[in-house]
Amino acid sequence: MEISVLQHLASGNVWSSLWPELSLGCLALALLVLEIVLPKKSHDVISQVAILGQMIILGFVLFCCHSSDATTEIFNGLITLTKTSHIMRVFFLLASIFVSLIARVSLAKQTMPKVEFYHIVMVVSAAMMLLVESSHLIMAFVALETVTIGLYVLVSYSRESALTLEAGLKYLVMGALSSSLLLFGIVLLYGVSGNPLLAGHTLSGMHYQDLGNFLNLNPHNFLASVGIILVIAGVAFKMGAFPFQIWVPDVYQGAPTPTTAFLAVASKAAGFGLLLSLFHTVLLSYSWLVIPVLSFMAGATILFGNFAALTQTNVKRLIGLSGVSHAGFLLLGVVASATIPMALGAVYFYLFSYLLASFLVFCVMAHVAPAEDANQELSHYVGLARDNPFLGAILAIGLGSLAGIPPLAGFMGKFFVFLAAYQAKMYSLLFVAIIGVVVSIYYYFGWIKAAFFESSEQDAGAARPARTEVCWCNRLIFTLVALATLGLGFYQGALGQWLNW
Amino acid sequence: MIQSSLLAYIGLSAILFAIGFIGVLLRRNAIVIFMSLELMLIASTLALVAFSKFNGTMDGDVFVFFILTVAAAEVAVGLAIVVALFRQKQTIQVSELDSLKH
Repeated sequence: MEISVLQHLASGNVWSSLWPELSLGCLALALLVLEIVLPKKSHDVISQVAILGQMIILGFVLFCCHSSDATTEIFNGLITLTKTSHIMRVFFLLASIFVSLIARVSLAKQTMPKVEFYHIVMVVSAAMMLLVESSHLIMAFVALETVTIGLYVLVSYSRESALTLEAGLKYLVMGALSSSLLLFGIVLLYGVSGNPLLAGHTLSGMHYQDLGNFLNLNPHNFLASVGIILVIAGVAFKMGAFPFQIWVPDVYQGAPTPTTAFLAVASKAAGFGLLLSLFHTVLLSYSWLVIPVLSFMAGATILFGNFAALTQTNVKRLIGLSGVSHAGFLLLGVVASATIPMALGAVYFYLFSYLLASFLVFCVMAHVAPAEDANQELSHYVGLARDNPFLGAILAIGLGSLAGIPPLAGFMGKFFVFLAAYQAKMYSLLFVAIIGVVVSIYYYFGWIKAAFFESSEQDAGAARPARTEVCWCNRLIFTLVALATLGLGFYQGALGQWLNW
Repeated sequence: MIQSSLLAYIGLSAILFAIGFIGVLLRRNAIVIFMSLELMLIASTLALVAFSKFNGTMDGDVFVFFILTVAAAEVAVGLAIVVALFRQKQTIQVSELDSLKH
């Protein structure tokens, strides 16, 4: 091979475009160095460095990349930077900061080593950004596995708790199973698309766009349909969509609270980011197959999530199953985006409103949780609003937004998704979704009722764990996020234009 | 001629994949479940190499190395979890892991 070929290949490697991921990775490594260098009693500083560092990166991402509207392909087609990838960078950075904040409250109750937690969260967030930016199946698989293996460690982080380890093992087995399904799907698609006997066979069958072009020319290939079904199955596991949601309640309950928040928000969003980038390049070529499958999944996910959440008394299982139903609403938006371009903006707006609302709820959970945080019952919330009105108000805003109560951001998120579904003429799915919303209000309000309207005299016998006091800095951040949730319900202007409907 | 030998490879890899899949669902010992998971990854690798040879592109061969790395990382984390779990509960039979409420 001539040197000029290598030079041409190397010229595509624009490392500087990946600076947010690289700096997150470097920051993560710096935390480990700090842990060695600093004396043990000042280790509390490390988590502050982690949060501040991520905020600075977030500031730069918001400030510097705003003008980049164009689509650039770098690393010879491995990575494509678009406006969407910029939006998702902001999303994952926010999620990573929020998880670090929750971890500061939650890990303080445990005797675990703490620095590695922030380290892995950042590495996983960087991998999630790469996942939604990738435009090549090898890149996507490697990024997805970095995310998944990091999450195995995070789920089983409290290694002295048998419940956490059990959750970790269950997550590992289900996660590895779904990765294998995804991998086999990728292999089949690669094999079929490069087959020299088929029309339009391509040399780069792993590249989304080339693969999509090939599939357009061969719309009813059997092996390709099997591959597409397997790929959807692998992604559905990440999203927690029916029928791959069986791991959700157990793993959400057993994992440490900050990890549960990370799984609920960032991991789900990573699944949707991957699905959306595949959907509009690869999967839509087989819309005769993909649209019915995804529509069925959306309906079944909404119904299953909401009805299974009805009977839960453990708040972590409850929030996990409600997260399943949110995945269903998001899938509704994804299916609608096949014909209605505005649905894409609706899905991203929904993700952001879900991120803010979940953060509020998980923060309250971290403050209320006992030291063994797998057992967080609804009864722990009895009298919360009277003893600590601030946490009560934060919880009410968070849950209200998740339920979709009108002045909050969650309502607008649901409204936009439903509007897109209506324009796409998906009336039966819309009907299912509205049933789901009605059912969900019941269990969210059961939680609010426990916090606001039940007094602790009614079950004086039940021992309640001591609640952590909220420090002023967290108070400020919670108030800002709660105001953002409230404000986005009234005025979506800036974010709405930015998300471009 | 080439087509039929390719089909044999793909058939073998599909059978291996199915054995692994069923093994994960039916076996009760965590270690055997891990072996089944590895079998599924290896089945994909076999298909990948066969496709790569048949299609005349290198992508598949390169992908195999990534898959091997991923499999190694997965097993490293998995065995660590199994060891920690065994210390806590003195068992790795998944049927006895039911402390989390249903």
